[in-house]
Amino acid sequence: MATAGTPAGTPAGLSKGAPGGGGDGTAVPLAVELRGITKRFPGVVANKDIELRVRRGEVHAIVGENGAGKSTLMKTLYGMHRPDEGQILLHGREVHFRSPADAIAAGIGMVHQHFMLADYFTVLENVVLGSEPTRGGRLDRAEARRRIREISDAYALGLDPDVLVEDLGVGDRQRVEIAKVLYRGATTLILDEPTAVLVPQEVDELFGNLAELKREGLTVIFISHKLDEVRKVADSITVIRRGTTVGTADPKTTTARQLAEMMVGTELPSPETRTSTVRETPVLQLRDVTVAAPTGRPPVDDVTLTVREGEVVGIAGVEGNGQAELVDAVMGLRSLAAGTVLLGGDDITAWSTRARREAGLGFIPEDRHRQGMLLDAPLWENRILGHQTRPPAVKGPFIDRRGARSDTARIMQDYDVRAPGPDTLAVALSGGNQQKLIVGREMSARPRLLLAAHPTRGVDVGAQGAIWRLLEEARAEGMGILLISADLDELIGLSDTLHVMLRGRLVATLDPRSVTPEELGGYMTGARTTAGAA
Amino acid sequence: MNVLRRIGLALFAPVLAIVVAVVISSAVMAALQVNPFRVFEVMFDFGETPAQQTTAIVVILNRAVPLFLAGLAVSIAFRMGLFNIGVEGQYRLATVLAAGVGAAVALPGPLHVLLIVLVAMAVAALWAGLVAVLKVTRGVSEVISSIMLNVIALGIASYLLTGPLRGSPEGASIISTAEIPESGWMPSLNGVFGALGLATPPRQLYGFLLVAVVVGVVIAVLLNRTRFGFDLRAAGLSPSAASASGVDSRGMVVKTMLLSGAVAGLIGMPDLLGSTHAYTTDFTSGLGFLGIAVALLGRNKPVGIALGALLFAFLDRSLVPLQIQDFPASVVTIIQGTIVLAVVIANEIARRVALRAAERGSAVPAIVAGDGSTGPGQSASGAASTGGAADGGEGTGAGVSRTAGAGQRSDERQETGA
Repeated sequence: MATAGTPAGTPAGLSKGAPGGGGDGTAVPLAVELRGITKRFPGVVANKDIELRVRRGEVHAIVGENGAGKSTLMKTLYGMHRPDEGQILLHGREVHFRSPADAIAAGIGMVHQHFMLADYFTVLENVVLGSEPTRGGRLDRAEARRRIREISDAYALGLDPDVLVEDLGVGDRQRVEIAKVLYRGATTLILDEPTAVLVPQEVDELFGNLAELKREGLTVIFISHKLDEVRKVADSITVIRRGTTVGTADPKTTTARQLAEMMVGTELPSPETRTSTVRETPVLQLRDVTVAAPTGRPPVDDVTLTVREGEVVGIAGVEGNGQAELVDAVMGLRSLAAGTVLLGGDDITAWSTRARREAGLGFIPEDRHRQGMLLDAPLWENRILGHQTRPPAVKGPFIDRRGARSDTARIMQDYDVRAPGPDTLAVALSGGNQQKLIVGREMSARPRLLLAAHPTRGVDVGAQGAIWRLLEEARAEGMGILLISADLDELIGLSDTLHVMLRGRLVATLDPRSVTPEELGGYMTGARTTAGAA
Repeated sequence: MNVLRRIGLALFAPVLAIVVAVVISSAVMAALQVNPFRVFEVMFDFGETPAQQTTAIVVILNRAVPLFLAGLAVSIAFRMGLFNIGVEGQYRLATVLAAGVGAAVALPGPLHVLLIVLVAMAVAALWAGLVAVLKVTRGVSEVISSIMLNVIALGIASYLLTGPLRGSPEGASIISTAEIPESGWMPSLNGVFGALGLATPPRQLYGFLLVAVVVGVVIAVLLNRTRFGFDLRAAGLSPSAASASGVDSRGMVVKTMLLSGAVAGLIGMPDLLGSTHAYTTDFTSGLGFLGIAVALLGRNKPVGIALGALLFAFLDRSLVPLQIQDFPASVVTIIQGTIVLAVVIANEIARRVALRAAERGSAVPAIVAGDGSTGPGQSASGAASTGGAADGGEGTGAGVSRTAGAGQRSDERQETGA
């Protein structure tokens, strides 16, 4: 099985900036080297031909959008699953991990994004948990305390072994996690989105700790999609997009904008003669829509936009800037703190999700497994999902099994869903086929407005093209489409109007025909502002 | 072929579980120096005379009816991913109040029975509804609240029995509510035996059996064939997907618990209307908990629950003969316990087997082909030529004929994958 797909080295393509001396010429073997790693899962693009070269004693950042395959890659490196193809080399020697225990033994430690700590245990107990030093069968607290103090002093972690974790702040907890992996003798630390939970001041502290680790000769792999942070802390950067490494970059010579381009892709769609199909009648209007959060700033802040018949309105933005909350607000899954939502002429602000769907709102969710499908149900039941109140799925209060089955067969035919039949369980389909079924189902109801959130995420190129074509056809027929995506190709290629969402607000409205990916990336990261903000 | 395979898959888990349970309990019996073969012989010995045999059947059926209703009540909640542990309290409280109301009024025959049944359903539904309201408004786990409400329900029931609804004279060894007048009794089905040419047993076969069958059919139709049932099952399979599809998940919790409770209210009716005609201190208890086991055994499907209830009733019937023969009655409990454990494990195994078969069937080769749009018919061709992505995965040809059997296909996969 272990046949490396491509020869080692920087993959051809979008390598921006100097790879920083590579590693081929140096005598010191690389701390971590991945060659041609490919990992397949039933139904999703995971990793394909990953090339990663991490030098000893550096902070190496791996950046990419959510769903690009960063986590899968790190799980491979941490022994949580085995790659289907490719090689993992540590310090120049090939290794095969059967479990995280093997990876830990080989000196790899993982600091998870979500802390795995027992609140009512002390720092000491949490750190030693699972690899306790014992004396006469009992926990040797004195020895444990000595070693934790040693680690804490060596890397300036500032931990008190006898405090309850419950009483610690987020930054301290993270340091406990780091101490945990150091205690187990890790020489290479993987930090999965470590700054996601930290406030700026804590981020600075963390970067101080990372510098200490580096000074002591440890290697840090830092996963993130926050480009500014990455540029601040990393010695070199590898960019992942759509499951594969698209290039490496030197943070000193690469701008955030260039990184953003690499993350989301720069290939502009082939110039096509696009005739605008935008009509006058608005199908969806959001007026001053605000969604409140229990704490902090509102995730959606005063958003106003209009989608007309035959128009695709794209929302660009780095993920986590309120797009998911906006989708929920439009679907009626989250109540508004302020503002109104109009579908056609109706004020649907107070309507239930079902009433909205009945009124002609179609939905392609971002996470099809969570919101789009019943994985353990057959395809024909998935055909009914979301359309429980109308034919051909139902007759009065009863489910029309025959109708649902035959309509499922029709969707499978028309939308090229490859599966044995309507009775197949949804879980057995590949991601692309599941997505095509969802698209077919939503299109079949002929919605006035289609809310498409990352409609091609995690699907392969073939299905992606098919879904794009379907959206274009629907637009030509007069459907309004609200498209939320993190893929610039998709947004620029499909949208008639493009809004940029940043920190819950629409900060810019752009013309997709004239905008460059550089500009778009600038707006998305907040590096560029405009007077044309909505 | 296909139908046979599906039935086979459905039966695989419970049959496996029963076999494993029999083996384990035989081992336990052997360890206790009890001859397991003798025990099983006694269990299957329904007596010599025809009357004895029909009596045995009546005893089993009479026991199976409440067990079935209990399993059904639990399964309704289960289908939506709710764990209604409160069935015990729901039916006990419902039965004592229904008995009280039944004894207090005088109505013509069918109406009297109907009133009692409706009171029982309403009381149990309300009691279960409390659980739902707590969950929806305050986020209280239904497991915790239903357990706690059990204790409260049993407390209220015994207060009602010894206080306001007491019908038995002072100092009687068994306290009971006043007897329901004859118009509130459910006629027995013993005529059936005569019609079938069998010996009429001295015991009365509960007329409520027919009600239970009807309820079972109604629930099966409701869950599997109606929109309401679809919403309920969808919410059980994936709450997030159900909400996105327009199911009001909070409302669904309330409706499901009300329905589960209403069925739970029927559990005490067979005994109340068919034999005891009053709620007493020794009224059948524990059915709510046995119902959980029966629902598990029947995999939450009405037919399965009926079979599970019959199995448990069969085991329960053997208690008396076993004790007469000087065998420890606990062997029955051991068998029941091991069956439940074995069922839980076997269900999980069956689920994984089915999942793996499904994934092998289509998803894996789809990725091998690299275009994510390959059907199972293409599995063979896809696996054979990994580099075949170039032809767009259109190499259907040979693969199509293999869609017939998943087993065959999986063999194929293993060969090519090796």
